This record gives sequence, structure tokens and C-alpha cells, in this order.
Amino acid sequence: MRLIKYCQGNLKGTSKAMGNKVIFRKCIGTLAIPVIAGLILGVICLVNGKAMIGNRTSFNNFVIYAAIIMITTIALSINLNSGRFDFSLGAMAILSSGVAAKVTYSVLSGGKYSAALMLGLSLAAGILLGLISGLIYIILRLPPIISSLGVTLIYEGILYTMTGGSYIMGEVQNTSMAKVSGSWIPAFIIIVVVLITMIILFDHTKFGYEYNALKSGQKVAVNTGIREIPNALICYAVCGGLMGIVGFLNTVRNANINGGQLGFGSISIMFTAFLPMFIGSYIGRYSNEKFGYLLAAICMSMLNSTFAVFANTVNASMQSIINAVLLVVFLVYLNNEHLLKKGVKQ
Amino acid sequence: MKKKLMKWLNVGLVSVLLVSMLAGCGKKSDEGSETKSDGGKGETVKIGVLVADVSSENAMAFSAYYNDYVAKEYNVEFQFTDALEDAASEKAAIEKFASQGCQGIISMSSSDRALQIETCEEYEVYYAVATGMLDDAQYEEYKSNEFFVGQIGASMTAEYETGLDMAKYFVEKGAKKVAIYGAFIPNPMHVYRTAGVLAGLGCTYGGASDQEGIAGQIFGDQGVDLSKVAGDVEVVAYFQGYGDTTADEFNAASQAAPDAFISVGMGTTFFAQQLNTAEIPFGDIDSFTSSNSEAMKNGKLEYIAAVYGSSIGPVFAVMLDAINGNVIRDEEGNALSINQAYAVATNGDEFDEYFLKDNSDSPIFDKETLDAIVSDTANFEDVKSLVEAH
Repeated sequence: MRLIKYCQGNLKGTSKAMGNKVIFRKCIGTLAIPVIAGLILGVICLVNGKAMIGNRTSFNNFVIYAAIIMITTIALSINLNSGRFDFSLGAMAILSSGVAAKVTYSVLSGGKYSAALMLGLSLAAGILLGLISGLIYIILRLPPIISSLGVTLIYEGILYTMTGGSYIMGEVQNTSMAKVSGSWIPAFIIIVVVLITMIILFDHTKFGYEYNALKSGQKVAVNTGIREIPNALICYAVCGGLMGIVGFLNTVRNANINGGQLGFGSISIMFTAFLPMFIGSYIGRYSNEKFGYLLAAICMSMLNSTFAVFANTVNASMQSIINAVLLVVFLVYLNNEHLLKKGVKQ
Repeated sequence: MKKKLMKWLNVGLVSVLLVSMLAGCGKKSDEGSETKSDGGKGETVKIGVLVADVSSENAMAFSAYYNDYVAKEYNVEFQFTDALEDAASEKAAIEKFASQGCQGIISMSSSDRALQIETCEEYEVYYAVATGMLDDAQYEEYKSNEFFVGQIGASMTAEYETGLDMAKYFVEKGAKKVAIYGAFIPNPMHVYRTAGVLAGLGCTYGGASDQEGIAGQIFGDQGVDLSKVAGDVEVVAYFQGYGDTTADEFNAASQAAPDAFISVGMGTTFFAQQLNTAEIPFGDIDSFTSSNSEAMKNGKLEYIAAVYGSSIGPVFAVMLDAINGNVIRDEEGNALSINQAYAVATNGDEFDEYFLKDNSDSPIFDKETLDAIVSDTANFEDVKSLVEAH
């Protein structure tokens, strides 16, 4: 009896130690990239006698940019992880915000609660546009990359027709919108709400279980009775809704909507999310994937703030090159990670 | 027999076609000469307008003046382009207008004005510049072109001085750190305004402190290279154009917490809301519009040098005269080149002086005023004195 008790005690201690080790490993894995990125960028700024986030304005910009990147990354990953490359995300963002801006202005004329109404309408218009995009993909049975290119052109064309190719400005420049751009709190609330909603939707609902099953093995999942089409449609609608929020946040940040983005001009909105998506997926190995996207967005926002500090020496084209190089370096690392691990073990 | 019949039928058909084609040509030729000789008095005159900016209130005020006022008061129809982005699109627009029967082109787009004039000459349509001006060398080259009616706008020296005065205003108010928005450099008017701003701040650019010295280098650099700026006032940020990276560039500028944000064009259109929110005093060279009025009265807009919507009235008048057969020339027989100065406002009352006077129902250049130069006998002195009086 004593021996058994002794063994049980030992096992308990070992598993507790193992558990602590796993938690520690997860914490390190989750926080390593943002902490290292923050340290490197912070030191670069300090060495040059500057602060990465030097005042309230820069903190507001930091949070708003992080919100835009996090939500775009989640939207991009939803379909991309299921093998559906959706080029129309940017077009959904500009069209939904464009429609929302016009309707909001016609109702409130730029008065009180304009920002709240525009956010709601942009979200609703985004869901509708996402649904239409999904239906086009399902009905036409074209490869998603092709159908999404067509949808992009259609949505850009609709916005161009609506605006005559000009910027939507008067409709979105008012006190209500200025309050949102002048504070970090609304963007922070949006981050929290979106993150919690996405974690619940994809990790704790029937739809989420089915989505994950389809993502892991479509054929097997379909054979077990999971219906693929409704799941795909919901994915498109969720992506659309998220891009509606991105459209709203971009409008807050730019104080206008460019109505003249023809010929895939809107695609750049989506491309900002590639690097954070890969970083977020990596962090997601150690914690929740969606939380990984938030941390990746914070990394990108820190990089953006550092670029802002050195804007006079590192111009926009240099910044694009640096972003592209970082993406390539990270992809090279991801693709050769197993070799690195092998090397370390040996 | 059948073959013979077919042969004669073919000959008959070809003859009918030939006769109708010739008749058609004759009719068109008659119509053309009628339109020219009538000069728009009988038939509606079509004028094409080249536009680079379709979004700003300035641009909208211009198009509203032509469409909502001038087109109703005169027998004229305006056709506007979408936003023209380059010389090729300007050329294509002129070709399209010419094919649609436009007899004159008014330019508010300046990617390549030399090419615009040459294209108008090729299609035998009159050409006039409504915003900005050709640089001196270009004007010398094209001033005797029979289709170049002229240019009524701010001269490059006037652009330089406008930028200079705006910068001096902020320096006198104690600005030690400024951010500059260079609008759409290498557009010549924006180059000269920016050169004026640097000079007004008391800065040198690449060692130069004079108009041509600074402007020439900005043309060469296609923008402002901050490493070449030296002076007591610190230029903490400079950016230009509008695109995907502008929001980041603007945020970088506002985060540098400048004492003033100086724009040489469209700054109020793009950034007024953010500047008001960040409480950064700003100045711009733009127009007298409702949003600028709001920014001046309740925001941080402290200085504006501007034109008003109907300031493009005289250029329309000389274009109509040319189409009517009275191509007005200066004393030396060259195309008109008349400087139209900017009006400046630094407070709400000064702003209202121009803003309230000029609206689409009763513009400053109304029909009664323009009629003084819309005639077969109007001459250079008439046009010059009218422009200078307003």
C-alpha cells in the first residue's frame, strides 16, 4: 500500500512538473515573437533618441492599425486555411464602407451617432457582400481564386459607379467619426469584441467544429455528414462582416474612401495581412490561433509605429521592401524549421 | 442573264453607296462650317474640360459653376473627364472630345500641357488653361499656336509668392517645427508653391534660397529631400501625393507634433479632420468652400490662399469668343497669359468675404460680368482689366 501511495505521489509530482513545463513552453512560444520584436524595435528607436510610441496620437494610431491588421488577418485566414484564396476581401471593405457612408450621411447628415450607424451598416453590408461572393463561388463552381477575382472587379466597379471615381469625403468627415479616430478606446473595444466572437464562433460552436473538421480533411468530414456548402457560405459571410469592420476602421484612419480603385486597386488591403497571418499561425501552435493573430497584429503595428518614427529617412517604398523581406525571411524559416530542429538535436 | 443582272445590281448598289457617302460628306462639311461661323450662337457649343481632380470641393465648385450656372446662362454644353492620371489619358480625352464635336478644350489637368496643345492642334480644337499655367519656356514655345487661346491663372511667380507668404505667416506666429505636404509634385504649381514655403520658412534647399534655385532642385528631386533643407525652422516631416501609404505618412507627420502643417494643395481636403482632431494648426492653398469655412471657424485651419468657384469664368469667356470667331490675342499677337492672384483669409470674416459672395446662384463672375468680354469686339485689355478687378 505504501509503495502504491509513494508511486502515486511521485507520478502526481511528475505530471505537475510536466504540466508546468508545458505551460511555460506555451507562454514562451506565445510571447517570444512579440517581445523580441518589441525589444528590437524599441532599442532601434532609443539608440536614435526617439520613442516608438511617443505621444497620445501615436498610441491612437497604434491601436487603430493593430485592429485593422488583426481583423483583416482573421478574415484572410478563415477562407485561406480551407483552401479558398479570396482576393475580394479589400473590395468588400471599400464597397461596404462606401455604401454605409452614403446611407449614414443620408440619414444623419454627419450628425451624432454617425460613426456607430456607419459601423453597423458597414458590418451588415459586408455580411451581405460576403454572402454574395460565397454564392457566386458555389453556384459557378469555379476555382475560388478565379471567382474572387471576378467578384473583386464587380465590387470595385459598383463603388466606382456610385462615386464617379472620386473620394467619399464629406460623408465621412464629421465630429462623430473624428471622435473615433481621436481615441484608442473604440478600436480597442472592437478588437476585444471581434476576438471573443471569433474564438467562440470557431472554437466553441457546431459551425466551428465542422469548419475545423472540413479544414483538416474535407473528404472525411463530408463523408461523416458535415454539409460543406452551408459551412462555406457562413465562412464567406463572416469574412464579409469582418471586412466591413475593416472598411469602417480604414475610413476612420484615412478620413475618406477612395472610390476610384479599379483594376484590383483594392487588393493591397488584403496583402497587408499576409505576414501577420504566418506569424499568427506560428504563435497559434502555442496558444489560440486567433489570439496569435492579435499578437501578430501588435507586432505589425509596432513595426508601423517605428516606420512612422523614421519616416523622413525610411520612405514608403523602403518600408514596402522591408515588409516584403520580413515576409520572405519568415517563410524561409517556416519551410526549413524541421531542418533547424534536426540540426539542433544532432 | 442572271450573272449580268447581278453585275448591274452590284454596280447600282456601289453607285448608290458612293453617292450617299459623298452627300454625307458634303452635309457634314456644311454643318461644320455652319457651327464655326455661327460660333455657338445658334447651336449649342460643346466644350470639353480636362480634370485631374474630381474629389476636392475645389474641383466640385468648378464643375458646379460651369454645369449649373454657365451652361444655363449661355448656349453651351460642358463635358468633363474622369480623374486624369497621366499624359496619355489627357491625350485620349482630347481625342474623345474632338470626336464628339467639342470645339474647345479647357484644361484643369497638367500632366503634360505641351502634349495637350499639340493634340488640340492636331484635331483643330481651341485650347485654354484654367488652373495653373505653362512654365515660361513652354509658353514661349506655344504662345503663337493658333489653337492656343491662352491661360488665366496664377503665374509660377505668383505660386511661389503664395507659398512664401503662407510660410511667413506661420513663422511670424512662432512656428519652430513644421510638416509640409507637397501635394502632387512634380506638378509645376505645387513645385513653385513648395519652393515658396521653404523660402518663407527661411530655409535653404541644397544651398539655394531663390525661386528658381529651389524650384529647379525640387523638379530634379521630384519632391523635397529633407537632408537638403537647412534653416532655423525644422521641417519634421514631408510627404506628397495620395495613395496607399498616405495615411501612414500623415500619421508619421502628426506624431512628430509639428507647430504647423503647411500644405501646398488639397491638404484641407485630405487631412482637415485629422488635423483638427490632433489640434495641429494648418494652412493650405485651396479654395473657398463650405468645409474650409467650417475648418477655419471651428477647426485649426489658420491660413488659406484660395480661388473661388467662378474664378474660371474669364477663361470660359475667352474660349467662347474664340469659338465665335474672336480669338483674343495680347499686344504682341500671342496667346493670352493673365495672372490671377489668390485671395487670402486668416479668419472666418475674411473667409466669408469671398465664400458668401461666390455661389452657384450668383457667382462673382456672373453673366453680367462675363458679358463684358463675351463679344465679337472684346480685346486683351478688356479681359485683363476684368480679371485684375476681381
